[in-house]
Amino acid sequence: MGKFQLGEFEEIVMLTVGVLYGEAYGVSIKKEIESRLQRNVSVGALQSALNRLETKGYLQSEEGGSTSERGGRPKRFFKITAQGKRAIEDTKEMRNQLYNAIPNIALDVKFA
Amino acid sequence: MKSSPFRFSQRLLRWFCDPKLHPSIEGDLLELFEEQTTSKGVKRAKWQFLWEVIKLFRPGIIKSFTGNQRLNQMGMIKNYIKIGWRNVMNQKQFSGINIIGLTIGISACLLILCYVYNEVSYDKYHSKLDRMYRVLHAYGESESPTAEEYQVWGSAPAGPTITNKFPEVENFCRFTSPSIFLLENDTKKFQEDNIMFADSSTFEMFSWRILAGDPQTMLTAPNSIVLTESMAIKYFGTENALGKTLVADHTEQLKVTGVMEDVPSQSQFSFDALISMTSFYNMRPKIFISWGYVDFYTYLLLDEHASLENLREKTKVIYDEMDESDRHSLDYEPMKGAYLNSVAARQPGPVGSLTNVYMLSCIGVFILLIACVNFINLATARSVERAKEVGVRKTLGALKIDLTFQFLAESILIALFSSILAIGVVSLVIPYFHYLVGKPVAFEGLLTTKYFLLYAGLSIFIGLLAGLYPAWVLSKFKPTQVLKGKFKSSRNGSQLRRGLVVFQFCLAIMLVIATTVVYNQLQYMQNKDKGFTQDQMIVVDFGWDNAVQSRIRLLKDKYSAHPDVISISASRAVPGDFFPNAGTGIENPFGEIQYHAPGIYEIDEDFVPNFEIEMAAGRSFSKEFVNDSIEALMINEASLSLYGYSSAEEIIGKKFSQWGRKGKIIGVVKDFNYKSLHAKIEPLTLRFGQNRELRRVAIKVRSMRMQETIAELESIWNNLIPERPFNFVFLDQSFNQHYQSDIRFGRLFSAFALIAIIIACLGLFGLTVYATEQRAKEIGIRKVLGATIPSIMKLISQEFLVLVLIAAVIAIPISWFGMSNWLMSFAHRMTLSLGSFILPTLCIAVIAISTIGWQIVATARRNPVDVIKDE
Repeated sequence: MGKFQLGEFEEIVMLTVGVLYGEAYGVSIKKEIESRLQRNVSVGALQSALNRLETKGYLQSEEGGSTSERGGRPKRFFKITAQGKRAIEDTKEMRNQLYNAIPNIALDVKFA
Repeated sequence: MKSSPFRFSQRLLRWFCDPKLHPSIEGDLLELFEEQTTSKGVKRAKWQFLWEVIKLFRPGIIKSFTGNQRLNQMGMIKNYIKIGWRNVMNQKQFSGINIIGLTIGISACLLILCYVYNEVSYDKYHSKLDRMYRVLHAYGESESPTAEEYQVWGSAPAGPTITNKFPEVENFCRFTSPSIFLLENDTKKFQEDNIMFADSSTFEMFSWRILAGDPQTMLTAPNSIVLTESMAIKYFGTENALGKTLVADHTEQLKVTGVMEDVPSQSQFSFDALISMTSFYNMRPKIFISWGYVDFYTYLLLDEHASLENLREKTKVIYDEMDESDRHSLDYEPMKGAYLNSVAARQPGPVGSLTNVYMLSCIGVFILLIACVNFINLATARSVERAKEVGVRKTLGALKIDLTFQFLAESILIALFSSILAIGVVSLVIPYFHYLVGKPVAFEGLLTTKYFLLYAGLSIFIGLLAGLYPAWVLSKFKPTQVLKGKFKSSRNGSQLRRGLVVFQFCLAIMLVIATTVVYNQLQYMQNKDKGFTQDQMIVVDFGWDNAVQSRIRLLKDKYSAHPDVISISASRAVPGDFFPNAGTGIENPFGEIQYHAPGIYEIDEDFVPNFEIEMAAGRSFSKEFVNDSIEALMINEASLSLYGYSSAEEIIGKKFSQWGRKGKIIGVVKDFNYKSLHAKIEPLTLRFGQNRELRRVAIKVRSMRMQETIAELESIWNNLIPERPFNFVFLDQSFNQHYQSDIRFGRLFSAFALIAIIIACLGLFGLTVYATEQRAKEIGIRKVLGATIPSIMKLISQEFLVLVLIAAVIAIPISWFGMSNWLMSFAHRMTLSLGSFILPTLCIAVIAISTIGWQIVATARRNPVDVIKDE
């Protein structure tokens, strides 16, 4: 427990990279998060999260070939590593445990 | 059409972004940009791009500042400091010598800096100083008088005339020379001799702080007096003296209209109070339209664009307006820097000496150099010890530049440390320095950021100066040589060390010689025959008090009857005092009346015998000649050539006219020195003083019991003249006041010379310690082979004495040249004898020997076993 630590945003980024399997690079991840979660993501926040996750070893990146689009700049594609997979699973597990531990009465809230 | 984002936003990104991440991030941004140009328009997209770039400025994306190179350097600097500190602690003796030497040196320099700063910042507190000028005048009809012929004071009409005639002159302000008053307030009664009359414009031009009263009007009405703070306290016990009244000379009521701060010590004149010029005008209105009466210090305020040259040229017009007998040339002198630069006579207050400032600055530099030389010597001498360290560092990859930097860092550290210590030393010492200089020296003026930075810069400079050569030498070592152990201190190095010791002692010897000469000259001046007697002479100043003047005959009779009084005379001035000059016409050998302005002494018939002044020709005033008091004049020998005579006899009986008196010359006195011996004896006339022209009596006493005699003289005085306090001085003391600044300078000079010698000896001591340690084995072996202690002492001391001798050979001619130049500023100077050069040199040699002596003795007496047992 607690071996893997993922921040909220980091978790979202990890999951999105997973969702976009094979097609996850800066712009696509940004758009995916924006469209699915209805929230704005700045390039800065995303890039620093990606970097962080890569140094932690949860993500792995590789540069794609450069095309004439994007001013000839390459795309950097991200993949979830084995450790990364364990990290999201672990996080999910922890959530579930917590969720299950909530007594039913507490959730039995009546909304007027 | 393809649009692109702001170029600078891309450049900005490239500047801070980690180069590994940069291409892909930029790609992402560009992709987004293109999308946005279509959806939101180019303009918004561009700004959006920039905004995203700015938001990228966060850790993780920014490239690291500190490349590997830098990190390494920081570590090395830490290491340098650590090694430096260990070195200091490891070699306490040498470090001590270095730090003490540098600290003393820097402290001395700092003190000198304070003094020099003090001297050059005279009058600077006046906010209009840059535009203020003094009026000078030179009496006589000379077309272009020399700078020395000018006098600072002038006549009353000069100020108003110049201001009215020339538009660039904004304002003028006149002061009279100090007058003497007896001031009374109820019970308090003092004789004041430093009060001046001043124009109402005084406080518009000069920036003295006003404590009470209206600066615009306080010197306007007649009989107004402005007191300085200490005067207000003296008479009224409080600073709040405004509106109160003082009685001057029993009659005049003076109303206190203002109180000002005491005149700051850095001023070209000092006074205790100012009385409105209108009061003086009411007393003697005629002199305010006379070009002939000269007693006014006139200051002008020029407007910003005025040209002094222009004004000088225009001023020549005024010359023609004067009466023939009063004609004189006018000139101007900037008030700024007048304290140090003015050569004109009749200064309103003390003047500084530029030579002295230069000489002291020289000493300061010398002291610093000597201290630096110590550092260089000890550092290079000990280079062998650090050679291994250098070798190891080089083997491990240190570059020469790194090592240079290391050693420089060490020396700069030591210099900075010494500088901080020096500030402490100076703040402790400065109260005593006041005594040495004879006036308060402001340290505070130097406590500004500007000077602080200067000081820090100077410390680093000293560190560099002292450390550059050692650093260069040390960093040059070849690792293969030093690590093999074949290394020896180079011949060049010891050659240089010797050179530096010679240099050091050269400076020290020069300073000692200079000190000796300065002292001898002062002695010479004080002991020189002045042409009059000054011993056992009591002078009572009664300030023209009518109460005394009317009873002067009676007073002289009473005093003459006293058994201890030898003789007594009355006069306006006695030698050393202030005296006026008078336009005097005397018939020259061709029968024409020629006008000059010699000094004037008003004396009675007893003056010449009382002061034992000798006559060169003719006779002195005498009671037997009734008309002496109205138609006779004496002159001194110096006046002869002024009027074209070569012998004293010729001038006897010639006609003269002076200050409304006409008659014949009756006698010529031999020159006696009535001013300080700095100045040549100048032309002087002596005329008979009427009672109302007398101010002082000089009483020559013969007494073994001076205290009682003075008490008796005082009680006679008090019985006879209760109105006036018995205000006396001893003539020799008051005359020697003229040498006060010389004496102080001598003291100052010798104190710093002493410091220089101490530092030089400190260095020599360090070198001896080092040399004897290095040669300990050699000495041990010599002893084993039969050398005696004296022969070993001779061996080591010889080496150093030769250096001192060489230093002497170099120093003597230089100081001979320097000191003969210095002596030129004295009219009466001693002759430079070889003795004043040999003696100081011997003195230095003895000091040097005693410095190194005990160390050498200790080494020579060591048991050889102790030093040669280990190898």
